[in-house]
Amino acid sequence: MAIAQLLVEVLALGAAYALVALGFVLILNATGAVNFAQGDLVMAGGFGAVLLADRLHVSGLVLLPALLAGMAVLGVVVALAAYMPLRRRPPEAVFISTIAVGIILQNVANRLFGAEPVATPPLFGAGRVRFAGVDASVQSVAIIGVAALLIAALYTLFTHTQFGRRLRATAYDRDMAMAIGIPVDRMIAGTFAVAAALAGAAGLLLSNTFFVTPSSGSDYMIKAYIAVVIGGWGSIRGAVAGALLIAAFEVLYPSLPLLVPALLWMPSSDAVFSQTTSTIVLDVAVLLILVVRPQGLFGEAARQRP
Amino acid sequence: MQGDRRLGSPKKGLTNAHHAGGLGYLFGMAFATLVLFGGLPVAHTAEPAPDVPVLVPITGFLAAEGSSQRNGALLALQNPPAGVHPRFAVTDTGTSPEGAVNALERALSDGEVTVVVASMLGTQMLAMLPIAQAQKVPLITMSGTADITRKGNPYIFRFFPADSVVKGAQVKYAIEAHHIQKPAVIYQTTAYGQSGHAEILTALAAAGIKPVYEDALDVGVKDMRPVIAKAVASGADSLLLQLHGGPTALFLKAVAAMDVHLPIVAGSGLSQPATVALLEPAELKGVCGETGSSPISGETPAARDFLARYRDAFHTDPDGFALGQYDATMMALEAVAKGATSAEAVTKALATGSYQGVAMTYKSNGHGDMAHSAVIVCFDGTSRVPAVVRHYDFPISP
Repeated sequence: MAIAQLLVEVLALGAAYALVALGFVLILNATGAVNFAQGDLVMAGGFGAVLLADRLHVSGLVLLPALLAGMAVLGVVVALAAYMPLRRRPPEAVFISTIAVGIILQNVANRLFGAEPVATPPLFGAGRVRFAGVDASVQSVAIIGVAALLIAALYTLFTHTQFGRRLRATAYDRDMAMAIGIPVDRMIAGTFAVAAALAGAAGLLLSNTFFVTPSSGSDYMIKAYIAVVIGGWGSIRGAVAGALLIAAFEVLYPSLPLLVPALLWMPSSDAVFSQTTSTIVLDVAVLLILVVRPQGLFGEAARQRP
Repeated sequence: MQGDRRLGSPKKGLTNAHHAGGLGYLFGMAFATLVLFGGLPVAHTAEPAPDVPVLVPITGFLAAEGSSQRNGALLALQNPPAGVHPRFAVTDTGTSPEGAVNALERALSDGEVTVVVASMLGTQMLAMLPIAQAQKVPLITMSGTADITRKGNPYIFRFFPADSVVKGAQVKYAIEAHHIQKPAVIYQTTAYGQSGHAEILTALAAAGIKPVYEDALDVGVKDMRPVIAKAVASGADSLLLQLHGGPTALFLKAVAAMDVHLPIVAGSGLSQPATVALLEPAELKGVCGETGSSPISGETPAARDFLARYRDAFHTDPDGFALGQYDATMMALEAVAKGATSAEAVTKALATGSYQGVAMTYKSNGHGDMAHSAVIVCFDGTSRVPAVVRHYDFPISP
C-alpha cells in the first residue's frame, strides 16, 4: 500500500472530520459553551442526505446545497431550543441541554429511519481514479475537494463579508458586540446554522463509505472534541490540524509496519501497531498535550476549557 | 413503551372505573361483583392468557439486532397457538443494565408474569438474572454471552447457538471448504468479539492450526484497509471475522476495493439483511459466514412461510435473531397451550422439553442452552440472498 495512497485516505477522512470540528469550534467561540449535539448533527445530516437521495434520485453533490440549507434550519432550531433560553445561565446548563438535543435527535432518527445502518449516495459515483501513480477511490478524492471548498467558503464568509465580521465580533466579545449594535442573538443563531450545515455536509461525505446509524453521532462528537483539544481550544486552524492528526493516527499508525518493514521484526509488532493501540497512543498524546501545552498546538484563545 | 395488551387486567379495569367518576365507579363495582360471582359470561376466561413482557434494546448501539428480536417475539405473540391469548407489551431497555433491570422490575410489578422475552445484550442479561431467580420467572433470550448460562441460574434459556457452536461451525467450514492453514483472525474489541475470538482460537487449536495474524478492532474504526493490508502481508491464506454487522460491511467493502481474493468466513454479522443491504452483490462474491439460521434463504417450507409472514408484518427481511426469538416465544406459548400456565410450569417445560422450531430443534443442555445447530451461508455475487451451504449439528453437552 503506497504512502501516497494512504495520504489520500488521511486527507479525505481528516477533511470530513475537520468540518465537524470547525462547527464545534464556531459554537464554542460564539457562545463559550460546548455543543454536545454536534456529533448527532452529523448523524442527522447523514440521514437527511439519505432521505433527499431517496426522493430526488440525484448524486450527493447535487443534493448538497439542499442538505446545507435544511441543516442550517435545524441549527437555528437547536439554538432556539437548547441555547437561547439558557444563555444567561452557566455554560454547564448548555452542555446538558445540547446533550438532551443529541439524545432527542438519536431517538427521532431511530423512529423515522430505524436502527439499521444505511449509506448516503456517493458525491459523483463509485469507482477509482489513478492520478500521478496514486490509486484512490473517486469518493475519497471528491470528499477532499468538497471539504476544501466548504472550508474556503467558510474562510471567505468570515473574512470578506459583513455577516462574517459580525459573527467574529460576537465570538470575540459578546458584550462589546451588543454595545455597538450587533444583533448578538441573531449572530449566535447564525453560528449554529453554519455549524449544523458543516456537520450535515460531514454526514453526507462520511456516511457513503462508513454508513450512518442513529447512534453513530457520539463517535464524531468525541473526535471533534479531541481535535479541538489537540489543535487549541477555540482555534479554527487548530481544529483542522487536530482533525487531520486524528485521521493520520487512524490510518497511518496501524500501517507503519507496511511502510517501514523493519518494524515487523519488533517483538509483538502486531499488537504494538494494532488499531486498538493506535487509539491508546492517540489518547496518551492528548493527555500529554493537556499537561505540556494546555492551550493546544495552535492555542490562540485564552478561554477556560469546560 | 409500545405494543399492546390484548386483555386488560381486572385490577386495571377497576382503577379506570374509579377515575371515571361516581357513576362510573358504581358501574365498575357492579361489574366487578357480577364477574366475581360468575354473573356474566367473560370471553376467554377458561383459556390461558399468559403475560409475556418483551424487554429488548430498540435504541442504542444494539438497536438493529434488538428490533429483530422484538419483531420475532411479536410475530409469535400475535399468532399464538390455538386457545392461548397472550398479553404483552414491548419495553425498550436501551443498552444500560439499569434500563433492563428497571424494565423487568416494572413488568414484574404489573402482575403475574409467565415468561419474559429478555434483552439480547449480555450485560443486561447478567443484571436481570438475579431478579428472575428471586421472582422465579423464566427469561428467553438471544444473547450470545457465554456467562449467562454458566451461573447455575435455572430461569435462563438461550435460543441462539452459543459461541462454541457457531465458531466451531465457522472454523470447521473454513478447514473443510478452503483447507486453511494460516488464517488471519480479525475481531471486535467488544464482549461479542472477544468471546468469539477465544472460541475461534480454541477451534483452530483443536485442528492444530495457529493464526498468522490477529487484530482487534474498536467498533468506531472506520478505515479497514490497514488491517487488511497487514493480514495479507502476514501471508494469511484466509480471513476469519468476528465483527458486528456494520464493521463487517466496512471490512468487505475495503476487501473488494483492495482487490484481495482470500477466502473469507465471517461471523453472524454477515447474515443480517441490514449488513448485506450495505454491499453490492459483487462485493459479496464468494464470502461465507456462520449463523444460527438464515430465514431469508427460505430453505424449508416452514422457513418460507415465516419469511412471508415476517415481511408482511414488518415490511423488512428477518435475520437469525428474529427467527430464533420467534421459535423461543413459540416454544413458551406451546408449553402454555399444553397446560403450563404459571411461570414455574413454563420454566419446567423449557428445561425438560424439546421443540421443533422453524430453524432447528431446541432442547436444553441442562444449563439453558437450547440451540445446538449452526449453518454456513455463502453469497454467489449475483444477489444479496445467501444460500445455505452447510449444516452443523453439535451434540447437546452440558
